[in-house]
Amino acid sequence: MAAIEVSGLEREYRDGLKAVDGIDLEVQPGEVYGFLGPNGAGKTTTVRMLVTLLRPTGGRATVAGYDVATEPQQVRRKIGVALQEAALDLLMTGRELIELQATLHGIPPREVAGRAQDLIGRVGLSDAQERRVGTYSGGMRRRLDLAMALIHAPEVLFLDEPTTGLDPTSRATLWDEVRRLKEDGTTVFLTTQYLEEADQLADRVGIINAGRIVAEGTPQALKAEVGLPHLDLTFDGDVDLVRAQEVLAGFGEVRADTPAGADLSIGVQEGSSAIAPVIRALDEAGMVVGRVELVEPTLDDVFAARTGSHLEGAGASTADVVAAAV
Amino acid sequence: MAAERLDVPNVTDPGFTVRVVLALARRSLRNALRRPQFLAPLVLFPSMFLAVNVGGLHRTTSLPGFPHVDGFLDFQLAGAITQSLLLGGVATGIATALEIEGGFFDRLVASPIPRTAIVLGRLVATGATAVAQVTYFLLLGLLFGATVKGGIPGVLVVYLIGIVAGVGFGAIGQAIALRAKSASSVQGIFPLVLVVLFVSSAFFPKDLLSSPADIVATYNPLSYIADGMRTPIIDGVGSTSTLEGLAAAVFVVIAAGAIAIVALRGRLRDA
Amino acid sequence: MTQSIRVVRALVRRALNEILRVPGAAIPGVLAPTIFMLGLSSVFGKASALSAYHAVDFRTFIVPVGLLQGAGFTGAATGVNLARDIEQGWFDRLLLAPAPRATLLTGVVASAALRALLPGTFLLIVAFSLGVAVPSLLGLLIAAVLVMGLACAMACFSVTLALRFRTQQAAPLMQIASFVGVLFTTSYAPKPLLQDWLRVVADVNPVTRVLEGVRQGFIGGVTWAHTWPALLSVAGLIAVLGWFAARGLRRYSF
Repeated sequence: MAAIEVSGLEREYRDGLKAVDGIDLEVQPGEVYGFLGPNGAGKTTTVRMLVTLLRPTGGRATVAGYDVATEPQQVRRKIGVALQEAALDLLMTGRELIELQATLHGIPPREVAGRAQDLIGRVGLSDAQERRVGTYSGGMRRRLDLAMALIHAPEVLFLDEPTTGLDPTSRATLWDEVRRLKEDGTTVFLTTQYLEEADQLADRVGIINAGRIVAEGTPQALKAEVGLPHLDLTFDGDVDLVRAQEVLAGFGEVRADTPAGADLSIGVQEGSSAIAPVIRALDEAGMVVGRVELVEPTLDDVFAARTGSHLEGAGASTADVVAAAV
Repeated sequence: MAAERLDVPNVTDPGFTVRVVLALARRSLRNALRRPQFLAPLVLFPSMFLAVNVGGLHRTTSLPGFPHVDGFLDFQLAGAITQSLLLGGVATGIATALEIEGGFFDRLVASPIPRTAIVLGRLVATGATAVAQVTYFLLLGLLFGATVKGGIPGVLVVYLIGIVAGVGFGAIGQAIALRAKSASSVQGIFPLVLVVLFVSSAFFPKDLLSSPADIVATYNPLSYIADGMRTPIIDGVGSTSTLEGLAAAVFVVIAAGAIAIVALRGRLRDA
Repeated sequence: MTQSIRVVRALVRRALNEILRVPGAAIPGVLAPTIFMLGLSSVFGKASALSAYHAVDFRTFIVPVGLLQGAGFTGAATGVNLARDIEQGWFDRLLLAPAPRATLLTGVVASAALRALLPGTFLLIVAFSLGVAVPSLLGLLIAAVLVMGLACAMACFSVTLALRFRTQQAAPLMQIASFVGVLFTTSYAPKPLLQDWLRVVADVNPVTRVLEGVRQGFIGGVTWAHTWPALLSVAGLIAVLGWFAARGLRRYSF
């Protein structure tokens, strides 16, 4: 049985606008599923339907084997939710809030305090637990939010843009926690607008745009679809490019019309490990490489290939520049 | 390594429901105490209104048709309590709306608790606040020379009707908050609260109200709630006004509670 | 000098713009005094059967209270708006402008005087259409001056609070002050009917004189004996409360 199973899910607003327009997806138990898309693509609307906060207007979805529309109570017993705005009560202290959450999830009274302490410690808020949440920083609030979502060790955890607006340190802490949850066998459904986050954490990625899923698969497979990694080479001094092409022919497909203005571009299956042999071969043939750049496709390239536009915050391709110290 | 999954109790477990309602009520009360600037006006405004009414109009007890009372303060106490409880209802609405605006409400909805527990938790807190409000005004009255003619049973009747009415007004506030979703719109109903109060017998005998207020007052549940609390103070226990007051308060609880629960369902559908 | 006038005018225009752009926010403040007047007169209307009212209809007696309440609420709202401007940082931007501090204060307070005419006018239209006798032109003029003056005074008070607390949470404090100031007077009944404690408070409270000044035109003829204490009281209030507001502004800037 899949942990999350969605078919033809729709949410139409009164004005006829479809925020979610018939999506299908399946998440296996223990999988981390990254739901990637720009602002307004329908990520949050989808999550709100899956966590029973919003009724679907069409299609069907089950979470942990229960239908979100007809068995919402059962769904709520199985899931943990950390919503985008870190919905917390600013007047309560961290400890009070997490103990309330424990009661709401039916933790027996004698276990409440102990479990709360466990989780507070796990997200590093022990020193701040007696302070009101209103005094917490953004990162602390997100961590508390995550701890609350985990109070009943849920089978399926929903994280809606957990790191939007966070500093790099807080982001790293949250990422570590997600990896740990995966080891525990928790299914994680994570929405994000950050490529790197999906790339780093997700076993599989679904890309949503304008309410529809435009691509789905492992990050590697998706990126492979838009093309191989390639090396852009720029030579020092006058070099016979025809000869150079002959030297490189054994490594992969060579092109002289490079978009980035390099002299040659060569497709390499193995990525960075191809750099040294390529440069050595050219060197032996007496050609000095002044600059080499490994260009790898990103999920943004996948998004661009499918929709014609770019994700917010993503530049063009991320290029790893390797200075030719040969 | 698989984590040990906790078994969350089913919502049909009554012990669980009671625990949740009490936890939510405790939280509402604690938060109210942490925001005294919102709590204080509940008694401050009615206290000042009480002072002005009594100070300016104490001679009106000699008007023909005015019931026999020891003083105008005795007569006005029930009006002040009613006004304070109504403001408590507005405060409950504002607290609910702030919770919706801040997103905390969604967290409650997404947890495996009965929907009604969310509404009930806050209403239990409103009821507890009502106890404090009634106590404050009874003590204030005693301090300035009013007496409760009905003695201890009379005091208990005032508490009973006050608590039930307070919970009812809280339910009205919640129903409005669940529909309006914004704290400032809930605040906007404040003048309306005054209007409804003015067309009741809360501050003056119904027979002495000017037309058309006297006709509206006949159908206004606030008249019966205020008179239900007033009779034990100025006269004694045992009259039909106690039953009428209680019936009116129960009516408000049931009507507003039903609207609140329907509004909660509507909110989930449209959110 | 003309520069100062231009600044004051710009600030006043901004305050008035708010009424037009966010009418929803202004409506309760405009309606409240009228609701209060109608409510009080339908509840306590029969009180005027007591002989000390000299056969003046209770509604007529209470209309001036409504006018002053409008002034009080407007003054309080001025403070709340300033607190909001402070919270949102707009006021700091204003302070960076090369305009004299006194000019800024005058602009804020003057806008209150103009805005106070709005609830007052609405209340009078309702009252006259319900049969309250229209006073003489002189009586109306004096009432308008006093209403605007009291609005300025209450605005100075609530501006002082806003500069001190710098948060909109101080709003109830401002509103309660305007409530107490206007009602702890001969608002409900002539002085002989008041309980002793309230009579003492009303004697001390300068707003009582202002109220009697507004009321004279509605219940009888305008006399100099009722007019000069009212004008003097309102001028005194503005002077004292204005001094506090100016001091608050000086302390705010440093």
